[in-house]
Amino acid sequence: MNKSLIFYNRIGFITLLTREIHRFMKVPVQTVLAPLISNMLYLAIFGGMLQTRQVGIDGVNYLHFLVPGLATMGAIFASFQNPAFSIISQKFQNTIQDLNSYPISNIEKILAFIFGGMFRGVLVGLLTYAATMFFVGYEIEYPLFFLLGLTATSFVFASIGLIAGLVLDNFEKMNFVLAIIITPLTYLGGVFFEVSKLPGLLSSIKYINPIYPLVNITRYAYIGVCEGNIYIHIFITTALVISSFLIAAYIFKKGIGIKTM
Amino acid sequence: MLSIINVSKTYQRGNKEALKNINLDIREGEFTALLGQNGAGKSTLINVLAGNVKKTEGVVKIGGYNLDKNELETKKIIGIVPQDTGYDFVFTIDEALKKQSGYFGIKNNKEYIDELLEALYLTEKRSARLRDLSGGMRRRFLIAKALVHKPKILILDEPTAGVDIEMRHTLYEFLIKLHQSGTTIILTTHYIEEAEKLCNRIVIIDGGRIIADEPKKELMETFSKEVIIEVQFDYELKLADFEFLQEYQPKIEEKTNLKLKVLKKDLSKVLQKLSQKNMEFTNLVVEKPKLEDIYLNIINH
Repeated sequence: MNKSLIFYNRIGFITLLTREIHRFMKVPVQTVLAPLISNMLYLAIFGGMLQTRQVGIDGVNYLHFLVPGLATMGAIFASFQNPAFSIISQKFQNTIQDLNSYPISNIEKILAFIFGGMFRGVLVGLLTYAATMFFVGYEIEYPLFFLLGLTATSFVFASIGLIAGLVLDNFEKMNFVLAIIITPLTYLGGVFFEVSKLPGLLSSIKYINPIYPLVNITRYAYIGVCEGNIYIHIFITTALVISSFLIAAYIFKKGIGIKTM
Repeated sequence: MLSIINVSKTYQRGNKEALKNINLDIREGEFTALLGQNGAGKSTLINVLAGNVKKTEGVVKIGGYNLDKNELETKKIIGIVPQDTGYDFVFTIDEALKKQSGYFGIKNNKEYIDELLEALYLTEKRSARLRDLSGGMRRRFLIAKALVHKPKILILDEPTAGVDIEMRHTLYEFLIKLHQSGTTIILTTHYIEEAEKLCNRIVIIDGGRIIADEPKKELMETFSKEVIIEVQFDYELKLADFEFLQEYQPKIEEKTNLKLKVLKKDLSKVLQKLSQKNMEFTNLVVEKPKLEDIYLNIINH
């Protein structure tokens, strides 16, 4: 493909990206504060209830175990919702066809949506960490790696959110995906407990759960240990970043959800 | 300026053939009306040009650029005012227009945005959120939005639907000025008098095909060979008394008025026939057909 057709309109790309950020920043209570409060409640309730039980990694304080899980979970939901909500609300408002009228390349449009979601995901993840500092301290074993873990998580789920926005045509279906697919996968991905400690088949879900390596990367960066092999988690996460982006790009290029065939 | 060559569109859903081998060449500076009934294919054609609908066959060239090969270049040349008054409820008029400029790669466009807002009587509402605007204001906002990048071609899909008469005339004035400044305009509308007032070319589309495409003047002249005459009498009429004028499709209106469709050259013949029957009339009105009559005539045939 001609290079100029990949990065065609820098100002257009930045405008679209800032719109995606501007959109959620206009309603911060709903988009940033609410997930932050939820995470703090999880910390208070689960932290209090499960601290004495051996559900985390042996030898690690449970609150330290929980914080990276909560940060990852916040990033997952926020990054998914941003592009999915944006695209579906444009369908709802009948403005989705505007996207086709801009002289911005497909790659620029896709990246604007993904980066917008990624920004919100990382923001919620970092704010969760910042809020928990008062209860568990501020130490992070590998700070840059922690940021990278949140970024990769947010990238993957912003891509999935973009796919959902394109494929789904209403908020009901989006909420169904969140409630029936993403939430259970998050709970079974090791946010609140070590997945290996689950009984029987439930513990095997980790092998097909994309959230499992993402949580463990962030956890490794935060406390220096994680469930399973960190190199395998990095490898799978890299594969998830690439494949989620490629699928989103394919669906967008096909015009699914934004063009009439 | 805009060439549509053998364009067809069959929708995958329902296998509906919406456009059948459309050929249309719009020249620079034209103000073209695209007329047709609901479901005739007007909006499909516009959506093909806008890139919202994938055509099945054919070639579209906008400003010399092939839509399939240089799609992004074509976007800079056209501005589209959609039929739906959808809006992004989060932003104000000002924010939305600044963002719209940005999408087209324009960084500082404040001066032109001010100009547009002024011309469309939206300056006072520039800080209002789009959800707080009336239907007419939203229509004007959509026109401003379509023009922020100064497109050479403006396509308006029923821009005055649901707009009150006063505001409609304000929009007419704006469009006339815009056309005079050199913008090529394509307008779809259900208000035929709108097309008659504004446009210099009439394209009629029916069942996905173009069934008429002529300069308005020529179209009007062609059909002006036939006039409608109203012969007014001071007594009640019976249709049976006018069998001798059967070829002119006589109709009685308001009991005392006789309406006939007559070729201009036959006018004296009709008057002669009336006087031979000793039918004295009080008044005679000759009406030139309006574009609406011509449109209905073409559509019905």
